[in-house]
Amino acid sequence: MSKFTKEMVDDYAEKLLIGLTDEENKMVLDEFEAIDKNIDLINEIPNIESIEPMTHALDDFTFELRSDIAEESIPIEDALRNAGKTDGREIEVPKVVD
Amino acid sequence: MKKQIATIGLEMHCEFKSNSKVFSAAKNAYSEIPNSNIAPLDMAFPGTLPVVNKKCVKDALKVSIALNCTQPEYMVFDRKNYYYPDLPKGYQITQMAYPIGINGKIYIEVNGKLIPAYIHDVHLEEDSASLDHFFDTSNIDYNRCGVPLFELVTEPCFHSAEEATAFIEHMIRVYRYLGVSDADTKRGQIRCDVNVSIADEDSKELGTKVETKNVNSLGGVAGVINYEIARQTKLKEEGRYDEVEQETRRWDEETGTTIRMRSKVDAIDYKYFVEPNIPKYKMSDEWKKKVASTIPRLHLERKIDYINNHGLSNYDAEILVKEKAISDYFEECLALQMDAKAAANWIITQILGYINKNNTNINDLYLTPKRLKDLIDELDKKTISSKQAKEIFEKVIEEKKEVSDFISKENAQISDKDELTKMIEEILANNQSQIAEYKNGRTNIFDYFVGQVMKQTRGKANPVLTKEILTEKLK
Amino acid sequence: MLEKSITELHDLLKTGKITSEELVRESLKKSHEIEEKYNAFVTICDDAKDTKVTDSLVSGIPFGVKDNYSTKDVLSTGSSNTLKNYIPFYTATVVQKLFDAGAIMTNKTALDEFGMGGTGTTCHTGPVLNPWDPTRMCAGSSAGSACAVASGVYPFALGSDTGDSIRKPAAFCGIVGYKPTYGMLSRYGLFPFASSLDHCGVLTRSVEDAAIVCDIMKGIDKHDMTSWDSSKMHLKDALTGNIKGKKLFYIKEICDINNYPNADETLKEHLKNFEETLKLLKEEGATIEEVSIDQRLLNAIASVYVVISCAEATSNMSNLTGIIFGPRSDKQNVFEMMKDHRTLGFSPLIKRRFVIGSYVLQKENQERYFKNAARVRRLIVDQMKELFKTYDCLILPVSSGPAKKFDEDKDVIDASTNVLEEHLQIGNFGGFPSITIPNGLINGLPVGINMTGNCYDDENILNIAYTLESKMSYKGQIAKEAIK
Repeated sequence: MSKFTKEMVDDYAEKLLIGLTDEENKMVLDEFEAIDKNIDLINEIPNIESIEPMTHALDDFTFELRSDIAEESIPIEDALRNAGKTDGREIEVPKVVD
Repeated sequence: MKKQIATIGLEMHCEFKSNSKVFSAAKNAYSEIPNSNIAPLDMAFPGTLPVVNKKCVKDALKVSIALNCTQPEYMVFDRKNYYYPDLPKGYQITQMAYPIGINGKIYIEVNGKLIPAYIHDVHLEEDSASLDHFFDTSNIDYNRCGVPLFELVTEPCFHSAEEATAFIEHMIRVYRYLGVSDADTKRGQIRCDVNVSIADEDSKELGTKVETKNVNSLGGVAGVINYEIARQTKLKEEGRYDEVEQETRRWDEETGTTIRMRSKVDAIDYKYFVEPNIPKYKMSDEWKKKVASTIPRLHLERKIDYINNHGLSNYDAEILVKEKAISDYFEECLALQMDAKAAANWIITQILGYINKNNTNINDLYLTPKRLKDLIDELDKKTISSKQAKEIFEKVIEEKKEVSDFISKENAQISDKDELTKMIEEILANNQSQIAEYKNGRTNIFDYFVGQVMKQTRGKANPVLTKEILTEKLK
Repeated sequence: MLEKSITELHDLLKTGKITSEELVRESLKKSHEIEEKYNAFVTICDDAKDTKVTDSLVSGIPFGVKDNYSTKDVLSTGSSNTLKNYIPFYTATVVQKLFDAGAIMTNKTALDEFGMGGTGTTCHTGPVLNPWDPTRMCAGSSAGSACAVASGVYPFALGSDTGDSIRKPAAFCGIVGYKPTYGMLSRYGLFPFASSLDHCGVLTRSVEDAAIVCDIMKGIDKHDMTSWDSSKMHLKDALTGNIKGKKLFYIKEICDINNYPNADETLKEHLKNFEETLKLLKEEGATIEEVSIDQRLLNAIASVYVVISCAEATSNMSNLTGIIFGPRSDKQNVFEMMKDHRTLGFSPLIKRRFVIGSYVLQKENQERYFKNAARVRRLIVDQMKELFKTYDCLILPVSSGPAKKFDEDKDVIDASTNVLEEHLQIGNFGGFPSITIPNGLINGLPVGINMTGNCYDDENILNIAYTLESKMSYKGQIAKEAIK
């Protein structure tokens, strides 16, 4: 019995604001199985949990933070030029209710 | 039913001040014009990347140190992933695994008593965009998106609305003293999530925690706590405590009640992970020390010092530490060896009065502590009367001159006994009939003679001396 | 004309034998032909203008840009329906640097949607065909760029590389693909796929051209915190052709034919060709050694890659909701509107990967999947860094042979995927400089060889590749089909 179910996959997709067809759902399930087998292999590596996860490509990187200097705002025409609906100053969306 | 103890924890958000936003170079300022302070990142245009503002990190570090937190070796940011129309990237950059401070402890004053407040963690993050709601649409203004936000999470360590609000007031002052935020509740710069639970007095375990989100005022926080304690206690009394759920509620200002939003059961999994676009920033001990050295003495410490070591009343000390600039002014006075009470008195009655009336700032006041000292010295020497001192006080400020400019011969109080005696003799010589009346028992005519002296000296005669001589001469 | 190298074209421009205008016209004409034949482009910039020829080697010369780079006023889609109408107002840093140097963008090339794929078949404009054999794929994701450079549309095109997206299509199209050390090229303006693995880079027909283009594009960028100062590095000047005393290694488990009991003739020939190529390096005075690596780590590469890249991708592409850019759905509930945009806009492949990425990041799964993958990433990188203390460079054959037929590879994550197909991802795990060059033809189709070195050692790696290139006859080769 697989630990992955169709409902689970649909639930994950829903949280990502994505709809899946049944066929897509099935493919995800197959891929989960494949990944899971491989992860089992990873978990066999001795003392794996004691290793610090690598989160950046260069993790011995030294650099300086940005100075606190404000720059000009982007022009409103640029900001809104790709938006589907605006009032000329702001983007408009259907009313957001919790 | 056993007596109930309430336990309260706070999540307090504070907007930091800076020239630019925390991850973009757009201006960090409130604007009436929507979308007038925006950088490409603030609207998450594809390909844009966060670039961390050093001042914000420095200020966060400053608060962390001031709250006696433990700091991590590296500044690391995480992504908090969720979908909402006010969050253009689809994630908020925040700190989860290695916040800028953990395990802090400070003391706050509640009703004249000091109690400890425990801080779970403090971290730096970004604010979201703001939504304006209309009939069937919402408009999105990205000005606020990316404004540096500092979140402080307390342990569940408060037991009343009074304690919780005292903590918030304390922190507002800490933020202002540290100069990291105006912490203005009216402008929404302070926003709190309030967690309340109740439990039997002798219980070792906490009850069910109920969270109320986004409370924007001190009154609101007190309202939430009192309402929740009452609501939860009533349910318990009625044997319906199982109806108290781990849930998120919101504060309704108009009805003074909290309203259920959602259960914690369907809480979002934020799928936190390290922000890969921001390399880990090593905070050297040297830098931490340098930042620590910029932390001023905070208000509570100052207040206790004023009371214990300078003989001020609780009332006066409280007024002086309300604003750092005022307190700094007072401390400069102390550094000039001025009498603490006299200085405090002048600041509280004259200076604050002047500042309020003229809507100005103590730092802009021409009457510096040094000039205040000059003035009080003259008063002590009795070269001027207290009435004159008050006049000179205003003149120094208005005309931007030195105190000594107003203590010229012509302005100075006449305290020369010979000079006054001579003058009084002349006045008496010209007022023979009044002398006769006086000697006939109309003793209140004495004030007439004083008035004459004052008239002739334009108020500058030393009143005590004048009276002395007059009494002598009229014997 | 455009089959020539950058320096050749520059000399011709300088001496007035050709003009920039002629080159632009030729590149545009060729673009339309190649688009017709291989479906390589999202946009052809018909209004592209010639530029003044200066001392900059790329001035006056046309080039291509992968469509996941933001280009001001030019459609930039990431080959996704979610951005099919997106026209940016800013230009990516590396593209701007080429503009500033006088290079001319003549088209935007197709890619696997947002770079998430290795076939060149998931572009919203349809699959890109291989110019050596249109029944085969280019591999991906920089499929359009590889196809165009191999077809002689221009001497270079920009690519991006998260797993092998420059270096594999380069091999399958018989050209050079180079991604420098992470952060040498700013990612500002590159649509992100997996930020900790994403690299900018270039596809060319010679190592020298790759060095020239990256010399122009590199540099610290205030818009990208992961970029660094490389002003002391001069890639082209480092190409001396002298590799005497250099030490290279290959991984036994990957290159040993005995590890492939079911090997077909192609694979046998590919690995044999690899061995032959190594001899050329030895002739130049380099030593080459065989190194054995824990098979468990090698087997984990593909999963580590899938877990990390899918996780970062699902977050990186959360901005695609159709609110600020992209086609908007007409749903009346704002969340349904966002969902509709995503459901209709993303291809099935991407959607599946998002679900996987989301799964491995869930609180209850993170330790087992995402964090363990990141831990193995470190183990692999540490092992490589240890080896780079002894060796200048890792050298390996790319893939299991030449480009595959369209019906062979479905880009499905499959447990049996072999290490030979996935090992280039090591270069992304560690941010290592990595370059693929053509090293032969099998059944008339190109195959490639890859060299990967330690971070910041780009000059050395390029010089080794340059020296090897000069010993073979594939430098500057143009796809046979495309010439017809």
